[in-house]
Amino acid sequence: MPGANRDVREVVREEAVWRPRILAALAAGPMTVPEIAAAIDAPVHEVVFWVFGMRRYGWLAELKESESGGYFRYEPTGRVS
Amino acid sequence: MTDMTDMAVARDAAATSLDYDVLVVGAGIGGMESALKLGDMGYKVLLVEKEASVGGKMILLSKVFPTLDCASCISTPKMASTIHHANITPWTYAQVDKIRRTADGTFTATVTQKARHVDIDSCTGCQKCEMACTVAVPDQFNADLVGRRAAHLTFPQAVPKKAVIDRGGSSPCSFACPAGIQAHGYVSLIRSGLDEEAFRLVLDATPLVGTLGRACYAPCEGECTRGSLEGTLPIRRLKRFASDKHDASGKDNGLERPAPNGKRVAIVGSGPTGLTAAFQLAKLGYGVKVFEAAPVAGGFLTLGIPSYRLPEAVVARDIENVTGLGVEIAVNSMVSDPAALKADGFDAVLVATGTHRSQGLGVPGEDRLGVMGGTDFLRKMKLGQAIEVKGKKVVVVGGGNVAMDAARTARRLGASSVTVAYRRSRDEMPAHHVESADAEKEGVQFHLLVAPAEIVGNSAGAVAGLRCTQMRLGAPDASGRRSVEPVQGSSVTIDADLIIAAIGMMPDTSMFGGRVAVEKNGRLSSDKATCQTAVEHVFAAGDAVNGPTDITRSVGEGRKAAHQIDAWLNGREFDNWDDRLPVVDKQAVLARQKAFTLSAPTPDGTQLEPAPADFREIEAPLTEAEARRSSGRCIDCAVCSECGECVAACPVDGCIDLRSTAKTSDLKVGAVVVSTGFKLFPADLKPQYGYGKYQNVITAMQMDRLLAPTRPFNTVLRPGDGKVPDRIAYVLCTGSRDKQVDNPLCSRFCCMYSIKQNQLIMGALPLADVTVHYMDIRAPGKRYDEFYEQAKAMGANYVKGRVADITEKPDGNLLLKYEDIENGGAITESEYDLVVLAVGVQPNRDAEELFGVGELALDEWHYVNEPEEDMNPGQTNIPGVYVAGAASGAKDIADSIVHAGAAAAQVAAHLERTRPALPKIEMVPA
Repeated sequence: MPGANRDVREVVREEAVWRPRILAALAAGPMTVPEIAAAIDAPVHEVVFWVFGMRRYGWLAELKESESGGYFRYEPTGRVS
Repeated sequence: MTDMTDMAVARDAAATSLDYDVLVVGAGIGGMESALKLGDMGYKVLLVEKEASVGGKMILLSKVFPTLDCASCISTPKMASTIHHANITPWTYAQVDKIRRTADGTFTATVTQKARHVDIDSCTGCQKCEMACTVAVPDQFNADLVGRRAAHLTFPQAVPKKAVIDRGGSSPCSFACPAGIQAHGYVSLIRSGLDEEAFRLVLDATPLVGTLGRACYAPCEGECTRGSLEGTLPIRRLKRFASDKHDASGKDNGLERPAPNGKRVAIVGSGPTGLTAAFQLAKLGYGVKVFEAAPVAGGFLTLGIPSYRLPEAVVARDIENVTGLGVEIAVNSMVSDPAALKADGFDAVLVATGTHRSQGLGVPGEDRLGVMGGTDFLRKMKLGQAIEVKGKKVVVVGGGNVAMDAARTARRLGASSVTVAYRRSRDEMPAHHVESADAEKEGVQFHLLVAPAEIVGNSAGAVAGLRCTQMRLGAPDASGRRSVEPVQGSSVTIDADLIIAAIGMMPDTSMFGGRVAVEKNGRLSSDKATCQTAVEHVFAAGDAVNGPTDITRSVGEGRKAAHQIDAWLNGREFDNWDDRLPVVDKQAVLARQKAFTLSAPTPDGTQLEPAPADFREIEAPLTEAEARRSSGRCIDCAVCSECGECVAACPVDGCIDLRSTAKTSDLKVGAVVVSTGFKLFPADLKPQYGYGKYQNVITAMQMDRLLAPTRPFNTVLRPGDGKVPDRIAYVLCTGSRDKQVDNPLCSRFCCMYSIKQNQLIMGALPLADVTVHYMDIRAPGKRYDEFYEQAKAMGANYVKGRVADITEKPDGNLLLKYEDIENGGAITESEYDLVVLAVGVQPNRDAEELFGVGELALDEWHYVNEPEEDMNPGQTNIPGVYVAGAASGAKDIADSIVHAGAAAAQVAAHLERTRPALPKIEMVPA
């Protein structure tokens, strides 16, 4: 997890840029944050900002049933624009 | 009269002219309590809160100690009571700029109501604007754990529940556009994948979307803040990207013909000014007819700009945006008397005939065969008229864009050589630097510092060369441009078969025969602001009035003319159509971030040949990936991009006004309550704890947000990777009781909020282990110690001893090194998933800014001083100014409320001593 921390403002600003890639990765099925980070080749702590920004605005939702090794899985809600 | 009577009269006069009895600054729990108590007593209260909602910090908490009442549940009724109270006027999203005490003992407060860009009366708080917004920024109300949108509701329980749009002014790119196009807006839309919306945003300003995407000189890019980092965004090419995507999609442009308003406007000239004006007027329901003297529509776009820069098909496609609204364009239709069009049923006429006439060289031999003007040359070529260029030596005189276009066109037509002769150096050339550089790459030669003296002919009378006088640069003139002066006796002749004079362009007004007023410089005469000519129904705009400019300025002129014609036809006063907000300060924009990650600009897409042989477009479009990456580099200078998505999504027409401005008022008040609260210690000032460096080290306020019902995540997760933490550590006294950070004071409530969070965590995460590292637990209030014991009984582990430092493991876990005092004082190391720093409080130094320098006394720790804290809580050193809540020192919620009540009582006593009813009471001299 150690890695350079970019300015939060810069990371948050990029949510829209990464959104299509995250949704594309999740088309294969629900994933945890670290799994999404691996799929889109982005730092996991930055993916947290994008996933929860997307969750806040209705793009993603967590699966209700269970955690996976301490991590929730997230899936697209179907919002398209 | 006695002195006492004089005073009473003065007080009477002052009190009766008060705007409010009391000004309360800050609407946290203390400010609300003071306002409510004073309102209940019958005083008129102005409550000013800098945020868009009342509630302060309390509303952001999960629960309160020791009752574990839901903070929202007990805050929101008080918040609602505050803003609905008959005697309280709440100004949220406002700031007190200055308070001045007047001679009569009252105060004048300067208060600015910031522009929230949302009509507070009609906003329903539906958050549709927020869902549609394309700009993401850190959410300060979620302690930066997640992003929010520029258009947003402060938080879900905001009171008033009204949206606010975070907008600092105009972004430099948008502000720089003479056409008034929201460059930041379409960049932001493309970043969000909303390419069609980006196209339509530009289309809202002008029909010439594809044209501007290719042929404008992008003043926006010159002002891009990113230009001072690693390079500007390719803003113009992004516009082209949106336009090309629209064209490729086959979608209609979304514009519907409006119902006719019964009025007709004639437009003379179909260049960028005329087309834009026609488009804007047609959208308003006017019947518009454009008269074009040339055989094709488009003016300079079609007859001046070569197709390697601007393909004719692109212009034709843009013109369809105009004709699609029902605008009729009549080509081969010269108008010689614009005013007379009224007799044909036109209510107004706009003359926008451009500058199509080339200026002559004014040297002997100019009438020789083989000499022509630059615009004439380009026009003939575009109309397919024969020009013999192949194999000829071409000399182009001039250094502007037309000269470059003519030279590069001649190269493509097969000239054996093309030379640009210019009387100054390259640095002084008026052509866009890209144009001259590209011309050179295409084989155009430059002969600089030469001025034409004579066109030399051959025996057949045709051109044989251009004799020039050598020039040299002199001193800069008033504009900074260096003057030139001839080198006496010098002469140089450049061989030429064809000479193209491109030293300037002028309007051609010959067809008007004096029926339209013309200035001495040959340009049409009209009012620069209103576009109206001496004939009231005739307007004139664009290059015909201003001289040659560029497409964006011409488009802007068209928009202005349409706006003013509409005003005149509807009997409205002429106004300033340019309602841009002031541009944001680029340095302030850059200062918002501690650091920027540099991102290489997208390479220039121009493909140049040293000997071009055709008119194929030279610039490649951005790929989809380039467009996303490029737009993603935008740093949202003004925050709101003016993309307009919020306006489109808002269900209430007119609710959102992105051009609204702040309002500042001077108000007279009888007393002031300072309730500006406190600030939290910035945890990164304790670098040994790794806050800001290790993602899983957070502050207690962040934990409170994670525990709150309106939390940013779905549960308590660590921010580094979204994992549910198993082992959580607290570090108490972070930044309090700490001389190293110059704060020896105890923050009074950190122990208790930590204990509260311990209990809540164990409720939310039953399997989690919670350990608190403390110096000593301070739980002196009613039921506080019991609350502490309860946490221990639930399983929280309390370890006495300072934490020395925190380090991070590769998996994001954290190693705490600490002194374990109760186990022999050994230096011990423990591993945790998440560390919470129980940060202390600091004074809010905003309080002292309210008054003149040094006027409001502070204590030695910079809290507002209470000279008689024990006997007269709430009193400050200024008569009539009181302090409520944590502005005078750390207090928990209960103590803040008690203190605010005391301050309210002090205010009431002060007002009763001074209000006009008092003269009825016998005043007793001290």
